[in-house]
Amino acid sequence: MMNRTRRFATFSAIGLTAALALSACSAPAETDTGGEPAAELTPVKLQLQWLPQGQFAGYFAAADQGYFEEAGLDVEIIPSGGDIVPQDALANGDVDYAIAWVPKVLGSIEAGANVTNIAQIFQRSGTLQVAWADSGIESVADFEGKKIGSWGFGNEWEIFAAMAEEGLDASTVEIITQDFNMNAFLAGDIDAAQAMTYNEYAQVLESVNPDTGELYTAEDLNVISYEDTVGAMLQDAIWADTERLASDTEYQETTVAFLKAVIKGWVYAAENPVEASMITINAGSGWGPSHELWMVNETSKLIWPAPNGIGFIDEGAFADTVAAALSAVNESGASLITAEPPASAFTNEWIQRALDELEAEGVDITGAGFSPIEVELLEGGN
Amino acid sequence: MTTETRASTLTRTPGPSRPRTRPPVGPLGRTASGAERAIAPVVLGGAVIGIWQLLAGSGLVEAYLLPSPAAIIAEIIEFWPSMLSAAGITGLNAFVGLVAGSLLGVVAALVASTSRLLDGMLAPIVAALAVIPIVALAPVLNTMFGADSRTGRQLIASLAAFVPVFITTARGLRQTQPVHRELMTSFAATPWQVMRTITLPTAVPYTFTGIRLASSLAVISALVAEYFGGPRGGLGGLISTSAASSAYPRAWAYVVAAIALGLAFYLVTLALERWASRRR
Repeated sequence: MMNRTRRFATFSAIGLTAALALSACSAPAETDTGGEPAAELTPVKLQLQWLPQGQFAGYFAAADQGYFEEAGLDVEIIPSGGDIVPQDALANGDVDYAIAWVPKVLGSIEAGANVTNIAQIFQRSGTLQVAWADSGIESVADFEGKKIGSWGFGNEWEIFAAMAEEGLDASTVEIITQDFNMNAFLAGDIDAAQAMTYNEYAQVLESVNPDTGELYTAEDLNVISYEDTVGAMLQDAIWADTERLASDTEYQETTVAFLKAVIKGWVYAAENPVEASMITINAGSGWGPSHELWMVNETSKLIWPAPNGIGFIDEGAFADTVAAALSAVNESGASLITAEPPASAFTNEWIQRALDELEAEGVDITGAGFSPIEVELLEGGN
Repeated sequence: MTTETRASTLTRTPGPSRPRTRPPVGPLGRTASGAERAIAPVVLGGAVIGIWQLLAGSGLVEAYLLPSPAAIIAEIIEFWPSMLSAAGITGLNAFVGLVAGSLLGVVAALVASTSRLLDGMLAPIVAALAVIPIVALAPVLNTMFGADSRTGRQLIASLAAFVPVFITTARGLRQTQPVHRELMTSFAATPWQVMRTITLPTAVPYTFTGIRLASSLAVISALVAEYFGGPRGGLGGLISTSAASSAYPRAWAYVVAAIALGLAFYLVTLALERWASRRR
């Protein structure tokens, strides 16, 4: 494929340039934490739900490209290694905004967290359950009696919700806690492993099949996408403090400015996946370049196209997530939530303002012009 | 062994710093102060829980961040069956680990006691084993034994149990009184007879002290090992799952179950220790 080769050549060239630039000077690429912060900038803390990686390319791109600064914000992006629960950090007042999956936060809201979804960045679920092609596992109904991998830490609710629809409860399968990698699946300890399209799925495709000596291909795998099941739940969303959103006009303005900059960052990542992947690598992502590029590209696929504009919360999709969360029961008999969340759980007020302003500026807010690239994964993601 | 015995036969008088052979008598031996000792912690515990409940309900601390004891108790009641099965799973891993680790610890201590050279070789290795972080060990063992097996967790628990049992048993094996050894020498006892009648019975209470120390370690290790993959359903996995969904009262309910499990292990091994020291 001509196109792919050319892209790859460009990408390698950029990689080299970046490597040279990095070795030449060790200064970080971010401009927001640079030497002379302008006096006017409003400090903002953004809590991620994981370590810096392509999944958060839009936020790092917004920082790197100076969109936050243009919006009058000095944004500190705080990673989490699973040790910080983002919505708790937000509810605690430690940060101003947090990125988190909707179902997990629904649980927190029911527990008393006063937070609001202000932008549904990922429009669709990127969770997969991956089995070997000869395993006979082709749908959620085939899970019965099998060893089903999940990371736990609240990432398992889509599995339980999809199983509930098939009349299966947690006791009909053996749930195995997966490390955040595919080793247990590759070793054959798990029949169907949980994987994100943008991360763990690629990890399988970057591994060498010992039988052939080549990398595994999509033909070797059965892939069940939760997006195709009723278990699908909304994922990466931006959460804000409900009370401050209601009463603090300064926070409201900051919110719109922040959302505008974030949207610009995601548009940049969609249009410049190679550059965006270099930005996240420079921000501390530990993945190899081909894996990082895959991640940025797949993340963009979860965001774009966004018919109502990026970040707009589709009420139907939100209601589906709530319904799935109500139906899911884990192995201890616990449900994620027991009642509908309050109306304050989400609002389109601020994202709509940001979208309107950006549309007036001529920004492509629906991703009409977005087309994903082809990424060739190399062994180990390098 | 024999050279040591001969050496002490010559010296006749025991060294001044020789420790007592009998471990100190426990509080159960004195019933009057025993009741006081039992009441004091109960009163203190009750007071702490009372203050906690007041604090959690006062609005000073958000109930969301600090669940009240009442909320935790409600979760304990609601999830009682799940707590029992989870405690059973974690408890079995801890038990297998404790037994295996204790046996290994005793065997290793016996080996170490046979020669100073072996003792010198084993001691630093055990000291190193004692500080291997579970964080590093758990993923390796899970990969070795398969993420679908509990063997890795049991090995982690056994490693945690091994260290105190080895150390206390090794010490116990060095506690024989010269007068006893001299007597055995005068009977022309074989090394095996000396071992069976003097050395081992002296060491047994020390071993059980080690097992008591190891019991809590085995429980906490088996629990923490669940954070790094493997079959779900144990206490550690449920604590992390509940906390990740901000269901803190439920997370704390499972913590209470973990405390109860640890206490059960401790009390049983404490009883064993008492029994072993009384028997002598």
